[in-house]
Amino acid sequence: MNLSDPVEAALGVRPVPGTPRPFTFPAASRGRLSGGLPLVTVHLPGRPLVSASLYLPNGAVDEPADEGGAAVLTARALTEGTLRRDAVALTEAAERLGASLRAEAGWDATVVGVDVPAERLGPALELLAEVVREPAFPEREVERLRDQRLNDLLQAKVDPARRAEEAFIETIYAASTPYARLAGGRRETVEALDASILRRAYARPGDPGRAALIVGGDLAGIDVAGLVEPLFGDLAAGAARVGASATEPSIGDGLDRTRVRLVHRPGAVQSELRVGHLGLPRRTPDYHAVTVMAMILGGLFNSRLNMKLREEKGYTYGAGAGFDFRRFAGPFSARAAVNTDATVPALVDLLAELRRIRDAAPTDAEMRAARDYLVGVFPLRFETPGPIVGALGGIVTFGLPEDELDRYRPAIDAVAAGDVLQAARAHLHLERIAIVVVGDADAVGADLEKAGIGDVEVVREAEPVVDEA
Amino acid sequence: MTVPTVRYTDERLPNGLRLVISEDHLVPVVAVNIWYDVGSKHEQPGKTGFAHLFEHVMFQGSRHVAKAEHIALVQAAGGSMNGTTWLDRTNYFETMPSHQLELALWLEADRMGTLLDALSQENLDNQRAVVKNEKRSSYDNQPYGTWQEKLLGHIYPEGHPYHHPTIGSMADLDAASLEDVAAFFRTYYAPNNAVLSIVGDVDPGQARAWVGRYFGPLAANPAIPAFDPDPLPLTLGGEIRETVPDRVPLPRIYVGFRAPRIGDPRLYALEIAAQVLAGGKGSRLHRRLVRDEQVAQDVAMFGLGFSSGPSVFMGWATVRPDSTIEAVEAALLDELARIGVDPISDDELGRAKALIETDELAALQRVSERADRLSMYATLLDDPDEINRQLERYLAVTREDVRAACAELLVAANRVVLTYVPADAGARSAEAA
Repeated sequence: MNLSDPVEAALGVRPVPGTPRPFTFPAASRGRLSGGLPLVTVHLPGRPLVSASLYLPNGAVDEPADEGGAAVLTARALTEGTLRRDAVALTEAAERLGASLRAEAGWDATVVGVDVPAERLGPALELLAEVVREPAFPEREVERLRDQRLNDLLQAKVDPARRAEEAFIETIYAASTPYARLAGGRRETVEALDASILRRAYARPGDPGRAALIVGGDLAGIDVAGLVEPLFGDLAAGAARVGASATEPSIGDGLDRTRVRLVHRPGAVQSELRVGHLGLPRRTPDYHAVTVMAMILGGLFNSRLNMKLREEKGYTYGAGAGFDFRRFAGPFSARAAVNTDATVPALVDLLAELRRIRDAAPTDAEMRAARDYLVGVFPLRFETPGPIVGALGGIVTFGLPEDELDRYRPAIDAVAAGDVLQAARAHLHLERIAIVVVGDADAVGADLEKAGIGDVEVVREAEPVVDEA
Repeated sequence: MTVPTVRYTDERLPNGLRLVISEDHLVPVVAVNIWYDVGSKHEQPGKTGFAHLFEHVMFQGSRHVAKAEHIALVQAAGGSMNGTTWLDRTNYFETMPSHQLELALWLEADRMGTLLDALSQENLDNQRAVVKNEKRSSYDNQPYGTWQEKLLGHIYPEGHPYHHPTIGSMADLDAASLEDVAAFFRTYYAPNNAVLSIVGDVDPGQARAWVGRYFGPLAANPAIPAFDPDPLPLTLGGEIRETVPDRVPLPRIYVGFRAPRIGDPRLYALEIAAQVLAGGKGSRLHRRLVRDEQVAQDVAMFGLGFSSGPSVFMGWATVRPDSTIEAVEAALLDELARIGVDPISDDELGRAKALIETDELAALQRVSERADRLSMYATLLDDPDEINRQLERYLAVTREDVRAACAELLVAANRVVLTYVPADAGARSAEAA
């Protein structure tokens, strides 16, 4: 170190971290409304924008196969009008409060919520209740939303990432499995949806243990329980919301061997790659070890996949891998979009990294990087009410222990290199893996055959071209 | 409701680095944000895409930091980070647990001061390949992916600094030499061309000492070239239309207009107009095109504010399969004309302002956003206090302001219309060949 150089004198020694200020996940108070609906409130001083979300157990995973997409469309239709006012009047009422009403369904839950300045929380909750308790599902609006979803599916066919996702889940799951379709449904099932199906889907009994109203923000001087009791007090006691769903969906594996599917996209300048198989449910006992493993493999910027495919080879703008944790076994996938010429070499490198993380325990440096990141970034994730409410909602949706978020950092810290190796060996399956490539089959097909990764099935389906009416 | 005032200090180091510090101890988190006053507008002909390629090089190491180690150190400290390039600027930012602030400052100082020590042909070639794949992912292989290049290309004439997009030309990137990259660094990556904002759980005295220690010795560049492009007229002076065949199932109509530059009150009026026209389900375009006439799949309208020339006011509507381009375009243009004739209603204005107020409140909750805005207003308007003026500027807009701005600017003679149409299979394979 040249101390006569002032720049070197200043920068030559790396700083050491100070003492961390303690952070605990904000304390939630839990109660119940008179009808049984759990109410969770989190007081966050200095956060005047309050986030309120009602978690309902209605998810796409529980819907019948021939109604695939009903839950997602139902949630969208909730804000399209109530028994008291039409969609425009409803939207305008929310806007006058500076509030945004939202309703969205995924695989495991329907979440209806509002974000609003604290002083207007009362009227915003009234609107929320109106949407939840008195949805009208107007025929015309439902038909429009259905058509919009069908148009969106058309557009997905020409979006390489969305096309790859669709082909990937169709490959890894048995056709009878809900997860083999998109949560929003397929064309054939969406086409059949109408207002009566949506009303029925909304009224379908769900597990009342997976419902809760969660309110977070600066709640000083606000009697949240007093505000919501008249609005939601009888919820979860009504006939519509009792009893767990009778049968749990069966999640079938669609793979009995390695399958390579090449979806032809003529002239594509990149190949969109998805490699993987069935993953794990959120409540897996290995959750924390698997999370650390996925970080090392494809979560961190300096993950093995990104360092190899991007920083060493320059094949891609970014490569990653991870588990999509749902109530039941969601997918595990590794992913990258690579320039067409690099398709086969990138796949070879990607598969080698999957093999390597099963072959030997990660280095101490990798373990430290992954654990320190996950533990250290925890407070950053929970700076504002929205993500705090969302994390508490996850506990409800997945049926996790109330102290799950408090246990998270110690549990991550306790993961050892041997746990990661064991998790990789138990949960990554190279002997039967799906490899989906959306790219120019004429350019990459022959090389892909020659690579000997597996039999290549080429999917040549015409991209939709819509004639103007 | 009032949006809380952001309190801050604003000072300069002797080498010209502008330092803005704002305390907020709600959460043990701190944001570090640097804006360099260099963007794609500073690029010379034949060297487009340099500012963005350079942003990638900034993560390839410096004298005391190995390739990719910057990100490794930040993530291992429990932080998040990134950099972005835009027409007017390049920014770099970290959000850290507050006890790791010094690390972020040291990392930023090390690359501001000693980047060239680590610059190598190998790293440059690698990142050039990464950027080409970024272009393939984000533009070439995306439906409608060329809209930005085409719209900017029409709104700003050939040779204007805003004419080309930040991703630049791949031929220009191929021609970039190590010496070009080094020269770009020496010219623009100097403390007197940067604003450093630190926001969050910070002891200002301590932060100031660290900034002085790490950034203080870095040399200023006394010869940063002045940037003063020839002014363009506020309007285009004629309509420009282009039809773009693309791999899309649904046609989409993009409209773009020249608009006043950042800081002009008319831009706030236009932002209100964007909210009234397409901000959510209660908006005019959504109501008419999507809900009532059911001719469009989606609509959007927004402004892109720039500081060295006209801004852009733009939007789009996607045509439903059972409708026609003509029907959608007619309804879209009709609404854009109507808002310049009859003033919007008091209720529309009130709703737009209430939503903007909530948006401001939401954005300013996060220390990273506050840091970015302080850097932005210091860089583009030479006044970080604009962070505390935005809401009042929106609230000051009247119905007549909206009408007048729309009447002046949302006119045919100031309009670019880009129509994306599905390419037929024959045209598609010809394109691919």
